[in-house]
Amino acid sequence: MNDPEARLVKCFSAVFSELSEAELRSASTSTLASWDSLTTVTLIALIEEEFKIEVGVEDLERLVSFDSVLGYLKKAEAT
Amino acid sequence: MKLIDALTIIQKSAKSTGKPFKVALVCGFTPLHLQTFLHAELQQLFTDYSVEVVTGLYGDLRGTLEGLQSENFDAVAIVLEWSDFDARLGIRQLGGWASGNLESILERTILFLGHLRQLVENVSHILPVVLGLPTLPFPPVFFTAGWQASEIGMRLKQEVATFGALASHMSNVKVLNPDRLDHDSPPSARFNAKSEWSSGFPYQLTHASVLARLLALLVREPLPKKGLITDLDNTLWNGIVGEVGVEGIHWDQDHHNAHHGFYQQMLKVLSGEGVLIGAASKNEPSIVEEAFNREDLVISRDDISVLAVSWGSKAQAVSQILAAWNVGADSVVFVDDSALELAEVSLAHPEVECLQFPHGDQQGIFDLTLRLRDLFGKDTISEEDRVRLKSIRGNTELRRLAAAESEGFSDALLEQAEAELTLNTSKDPDDTRAFELINKTNQFNLNGRRVTQAAWRSYLQNPDTFLLTASYKDRFGALGKIAVITGRLGDSRISVDTWVMSCRAFARRIEHQCLKALFQKFNRDEIVFDYVSTSRNMPFAKFFAELLNEEPASPVTISRSWFDSKCPKLFHRVTERNDE
Repeated sequence: MNDPEARLVKCFSAVFSELSEAELRSASTSTLASWDSLTTVTLIALIEEEFKIEVGVEDLERLVSFDSVLGYLKKAEAT
Repeated sequence: MKLIDALTIIQKSAKSTGKPFKVALVCGFTPLHLQTFLHAELQQLFTDYSVEVVTGLYGDLRGTLEGLQSENFDAVAIVLEWSDFDARLGIRQLGGWASGNLESILERTILFLGHLRQLVENVSHILPVVLGLPTLPFPPVFFTAGWQASEIGMRLKQEVATFGALASHMSNVKVLNPDRLDHDSPPSARFNAKSEWSSGFPYQLTHASVLARLLALLVREPLPKKGLITDLDNTLWNGIVGEVGVEGIHWDQDHHNAHHGFYQQMLKVLSGEGVLIGAASKNEPSIVEEAFNREDLVISRDDISVLAVSWGSKAQAVSQILAAWNVGADSVVFVDDSALELAEVSLAHPEVECLQFPHGDQQGIFDLTLRLRDLFGKDTISEEDRVRLKSIRGNTELRRLAAAESEGFSDALLEQAEAELTLNTSKDPDDTRAFELINKTNQFNLNGRRVTQAAWRSYLQNPDTFLLTASYKDRFGALGKIAVITGRLGDSRISVDTWVMSCRAFARRIEHQCLKALFQKFNRDEIVFDYVSTSRNMPFAKFFAELLNEEPASPVTISRSWFDSKCPKLFHRVTERNDE
């Protein structure tokens, strides 16, 4: 499975198992009460493991939604 | 295990309706992914349970341990790191590294470990404890260059090693083996500074995963295998004895075959620890007997309980040995250099664990002995372990005599056996043999239920319960402690919750003597057994069927008068004990 979007859905699904795929794709810290700082740590660890990248601490505050994480991954892949 | 796999396992288990199994994870850092991995690893090992891993407050390891004493847990996993002893040994607290105060770090560590030792001992009286000693490297606290050991650093490690040794001596405490951790998780790839600074979790995911797996194994402690069947040619020794002759086979340094001697030594050690050793070989029996007469063999003929040598198949030889041992195939390991013969045995006995002896590969042979240690490792060596080989021999002799008589185990044969049965009703929670028998006996097992250590201790602490254990010996040898019965006493009846008996003790009417003892000792009119038919407890079903004159249903009730009318003649000399 090389599609980064599908792989990201898998990561989000492991953390927010109660959400549908559509809900995962629209997830953000402002719409999901269960997305707290500990969830972010788990989510980032999953993403680092899945995509074999290291997310900088300074980037964390920008990664607040499915879309922003996907954009970050695409940018990281391009560079 | 990857983090995503761990989370998936936990998600699936959330729907489980199994009995709860609650583990306290006690550590001074943010438990985060270690908690996730431990939960998942335990869930995989405790498939019948719904696992829960509970953690304490960040940075308050001692407080969490103190608070545990009144909580209801099944086990406690304590994971220590250097910063728990003194925050200056971590990276999150700044200041205090000056060379002049290194002694004070040592003093604080000694003080902390003394207190911790008392806490661990207290907790171990009520719960099983597994303990991980510090796994991370020191930060650059000491003034020596990285390649030079610091005296204070060495003394800190010495204090921790002493603490670990004292803890491993405690009866309900198991300490994680640092050597295995080093092997599975290289020390240089454990620490995650970014994670420690950002979230207080100091481990790389790979290290957390390995640590959790080993801790879970300590909590679960897989049942050790009981028997090992080994091939001979190009396995126990180098060479094919039928071709090169007895003097042409070797296992020594002079012939560059010391790895075969090392394997022999491993089997000899296992035999001494109570593991049954059998040999299966396609050979002429006389030449193999001659080979075993060689005085330079590391393992002796006496260490091998059954020698199955013929030109028949290896699967047949394994069947013959399994029948002689009367143990389940799933508790036996088969070692052979031939992939074909391993496949043949695996096909005929799918439950036997088949391992290839990597002939000619010294490193592979060394690794095989490590694998054998894992499969046969146990917490303690009991008296029953020491007498097992003798009792198997005695059993074989008794069965040979029984086979010679037309009616099997006749009254005459049992009378001549000079059997002595010792019944003990002391409720000793540290009786590891009783706990072990309940958790590993399959055939003569009332209902197949297993118990956790915490549940076992809790059961015995209940004043309404009883524990009866039976030890047996006769003129053919001692069997040691072979039966365990637990239950509760009512006004007119006894409720038996657990009844197991070692398969080595079959056919001696010990089960009848135990029932007789229950009626006599507790003076009740009937016994209700929590019997459940399992895929493997046919011997129990047969015993009940013979006693009841019908197939047993659940639960089984037997009155005293019915038992008295059906009980066969018993010949044991019975001694009762209570060590409390």
